[in-house]
Amino acid sequence: MSTSVVIVGGGVAGVGTAAALRSRGFDGDVTLVDPGEFPYDRPPLSKDFLAGGRTLEQIALQQPSWYDDQRIRLINRTTVVALRAAEGGLELSDGRVLSADRVVLATGAAAARPPIEGADSPRVHVLRTAEDAARLRAALVPGARILIVGAGLIGAESASTAVRLGCEVTLVDPVAVPLAAALGHDLAHWVHGLHVRHGVRTLQTVVESFTDRGEAGIEAHLAGGEPARTFDAVLLGVGMVPHTTLAEQAGLEVDRGVVVDSGQVTSNPAVLAVGDSARTRLADGTLPPRAEHWEAAQTDGARAAAALLGTPGPAAAAPWFWTDRHGHHIEGVGHMASATRTVVRGSFDDPSFTVFGLDDGYVVAAAAVDDSGAVRAARRMIDRRVPADPDQLSDPSVNLRALLRN
Amino acid sequence: MSDGIRVASLDDIPQGEGIAIDKAITGTEDDIALLRDTDDTVYALNDTCTHETASLAQGWVEEGFVECPLHSSKFCLRSGEVQGLPATRNACPHRVEVRDGEVYLFPGEAP
Ligand SMILES: Cc1cc2nc3c(=O)[nH]c(=O)nc-3n(C[C@H](O)[C@H](O)[C@H](O)COP(=O)(O)OP(=O)(O)OC[C@H]3O[C@@H](n4cnc5c(N)ncnc54)[C@H](O)[C@@H]3O)c2cc1C
Ligand code: FES
Repeated sequence: MSTSVVIVGGGVAGVGTAAALRSRGFDGDVTLVDPGEFPYDRPPLSKDFLAGGRTLEQIALQQPSWYDDQRIRLINRTTVVALRAAEGGLELSDGRVLSADRVVLATGAAAARPPIEGADSPRVHVLRTAEDAARLRAALVPGARILIVGAGLIGAESASTAVRLGCEVTLVDPVAVPLAAALGHDLAHWVHGLHVRHGVRTLQTVVESFTDRGEAGIEAHLAGGEPARTFDAVLLGVGMVPHTTLAEQAGLEVDRGVVVDSGQVTSNPAVLAVGDSARTRLADGTLPPRAEHWEAAQTDGARAAAALLGTPGPAAAAPWFWTDRHGHHIEGVGHMASATRTVVRGSFDDPSFTVFGLDDGYVVAAAAVDDSGAVRAARRMIDRRVPADPDQLSDPSVNLRALLRN
Repeated sequence: MSDGIRVASLDDIPQGEGIAIDKAITGTEDDIALLRDTDDTVYALNDTCTHETASLAQGWVEEGFVECPLHSSKFCLRSGEVQGLPATRNACPHRVEVRDGEVYLFPGEAP
């Protein structure tokens, strides 16, 4: 068993790895290196933190005393600049060198910055860090004209926050119904429609270029003959690029993510990778897309800790994510794309409601608006392979907990 | 100590679920969630999740734990101890007794 572990990156995957190592009984040295002041959580960056309702301290991933209590050595305001896997060493930005039996790469991702002409203007924002969020917040003043490019999770949440702060928000996306793969077409359509119902202007198009007009704002040139429009600030919410430089330089296998096995181990047995920077190769050799969700990153950490300790990892569980917009809490569990039929519990006209995705008599996915209990029930139906009767699922008078007990 | 406050009948709380008792009744800072486990034992924790603002009474109660309805942190029903992120602080537990199908709460008393 290894006696020292260095974790590179203090997001939920890195902190989750450290926590899981200790809760699973690892007694050796654990060091966590991160450029921030202290590890913080990212989901609030497009929600309450962006709105100014929470401080950085309030979104800390752990209480300040936790690191000492758990004997986690936190090296903050520092990055790892090189991984010398062969020598078991890591070089830090301040010139120090750490040695470790095992390294866990938890470097996360950067917000994608596609090469759109003019996107280097200071009026163009991305959102991945607390600094990004603070800078964007300064632009979200009442009446400000805000363009959000991309109606995925981060774009949609930011649009919701911005309109709540009194901004005039335009949201563009080339796809008619964003998130249809994750939520199913009908629910995704309803959820996207929330924007218009809450005063966001949505346009189905792409931005071709920007022109900075100085004091007047930034002009966005949209495809499809839309007139050019001027904004005070722009947010690009068009996806993420995993941080894989350390892994590449150390000669690890990388394919849009550091490639790992089911125990999070990379092509070098002394190096593991977790969270948004990692991509798991399945037993059959396929490389599905990265999960890019909070819980998946935390579970990766638990799996890495188990692998380091040589103990069984957490039981496989259906993937789950949440997103909040316009006052609604939306959750998805399982793989909606693998459903061959869907049934609705409740009514789209009156949230809460849930869409269950079924295949061959089993629930394979669910997506819900303000219906936490149904999602938790669905997750257990998927994980425990409980056969499901569509008529019972769609009948709101049927207690879903009772279906699990049968 | 006191005999506790009669706050509900056991039948008011479905198995695996919870109900919130208003702080006007409990005299505590927060509402108190009464949570009925899958073995029918009733527990009480401060209702507001220590992470953000969810009501734990809306959570999923199963085998000794309650799972928060918003971001799924789990808390031990007996001790309030948080089991994992994103919450980082324990929930405050209170003593509960069930006598003749009636639920008595002892706000502020350790279980
Ligand atoms: C604005 C926003 C909102 C989100 N909302 C939700 C949501 O509602 N629901 C949901 O399920 N998911 C959400 N997510 C996704 C979720 O937050 C991510 O999946 C999760 O943060 C991934 O965790 P991670 O630890 O892998 O990466 P990160 O959180 O990116 O952490 C990686 C850390 O590593 C550090 N690092 C990078 N390189 C180095 C280096 N060389 N040396 C040292 N440190 C390094 C970085 O600075 C960073 O602190 C959101 C993400 C964002 C950005
Ligand atoms: S509010 Fe309970 S885990 Fe977030």
